Amino acid sequence: MAQAASSSDSIVAMEERLRVLTRVMTTKAAIAQTPKELVWSLNKAKLYRYVPLLPAEKRHPVPLLLVFAIMNRPSILDLRPGHSFVEFMVGHGYDVYLLDWGIPGIEDKHLKLDDYSIEYLPRAIRKLKETSGSEEFSMLGWCIGAILTTIYAAMRPDDGLRNLLLLTAPLDFSNRNGITFARWVDEKYFNIDQLLDAFGNMPGEMIDYGARVLKPVDNYVLNYCKLWDNLDDPAVVEAWHAMNTWVTDNIPMAGGAYRQLIEELYRRNKLIRNELIVRGERVDLGRIRANLMTVIAQGDHITPPCQSEAIVQKVSSPDKEVFRIRGGHIGIMAGSAAPAVTWPHIDQWLSARSG
Amino acid sequence: MSETQGKATASADPFEPFRTMRDAYLDAMAKTMVEAVNTEAYAQATGTMLEGYLAAAAPFREAMDKSMKQALQQLSLPSREELAALAERFTNLELRLDDMDAKLVSIVKLLRKERTASEAGNGKARQSAEPK
Repeated sequence: MAQAASSSDSIVAMEERLRVLTRVMTTKAAIAQTPKELVWSLNKAKLYRYVPLLPAEKRHPVPLLLVFAIMNRPSILDLRPGHSFVEFMVGHGYDVYLLDWGIPGIEDKHLKLDDYSIEYLPRAIRKLKETSGSEEFSMLGWCIGAILTTIYAAMRPDDGLRNLLLLTAPLDFSNRNGITFARWVDEKYFNIDQLLDAFGNMPGEMIDYGARVLKPVDNYVLNYCKLWDNLDDPAVVEAWHAMNTWVTDNIPMAGGAYRQLIEELYRRNKLIRNELIVRGERVDLGRIRANLMTVIAQGDHITPPCQSEAIVQKVSSPDKEVFRIRGGHIGIMAGSAAPAVTWPHIDQWLSARSG
Repeated sequence: MSETQGKATASADPFEPFRTMRDAYLDAMAKTMVEAVNTEAYAQATGTMLEGYLAAAAPFREAMDKSMKQALQQLSLPSREELAALAERFTNLELRLDDMDAKLVSIVKLLRKERTASEAGNGKARQSAEPK
């Protein structure tokens, strides 16, 4: 009878695990929940201001603009209540803005990095200054967002940029052997014209596939084993659900920007060599004078550390820091250790320079 | 007695040895696969596959595009390209409107500043004109 009770308990437990698994695999988690208001939009781009928690006199006077990549949702910066970088920074007295690039349509296939960094970003910053009342601002660029913010910082050094934070910034493509993506998109193997002629924009599914195949077993098998093994742990399940919701929300990348990324950055490494031409003007990294912190994820397989190191030698910023941290491309900002390590360090660095 | 039996059942997870074996195998496979995808051979194979797929799909895609354009034309409906061109023009308009909005805001700011300055100036003039 005791055995029968035990079997029945096991069946009930298994049923509950399957119920949790079904919920997690078939629904979206509630992410990007920190209250915000739309202050500006242009085409698909939207600038949001997060509702401040502290009164103006207790806030840092220099607002912070968050700029993520153009082929992923920026909700990774505000993943879930209680585990959100945005929530953390708002709670620590920053006036936080987020630039959501939106989802490019076929009409946006000609958009290049030039357009994002010199047309959209300055206009968003103009609105940010008007809304915040501050002529100076800090900017955090993550992944491709770091490329765009770097180009902007070099082209518009007198626009009021006080502090520039670059997270896992893919700026230097000289170490081809250390960058798997660089090998895959070599001219010998990758026909970008054929691809973009077929699709216009770079499909989100292909970008996602490329990122996952860098670590195929981890992303296609171990990830789900971890979920299965921890179905009884609500904290792990909710964290997994939120991350999976973001990871599976793929968006395309504008064809022009993708072509430029592959041809001028991955293949010819023009940005770090100061050879990149934007709107007829050479992007000179030596013109960057803002205080700079570059955050390098030592376990990053998407943007290996070698890609983010050279920038500190190229800029003219008198105040610069390299912050190396254990973790992966996304994990350093959205992983379990981020609230204890990365976020406080960013806050400490920024608060000393936001007065 | 049933409590002891329960404890014994809970501590002896029958799947633990399987899980350990699975994890060891997957860790080894993970390392091997990371090395495998980081080779020229893999890059070449992926590139060839992609090129082959796109080349094979191209005639179908072109035929579909052509027939769709014709059908839309027959129905007096705009094609995707025409809508995209329209959307591009809207974006250009939006850019101009955004710039105009910014200029208006700076004009209003300047006017307010001037008015404040002139009111301050008038206030001072009135004070100095008052009999002592």
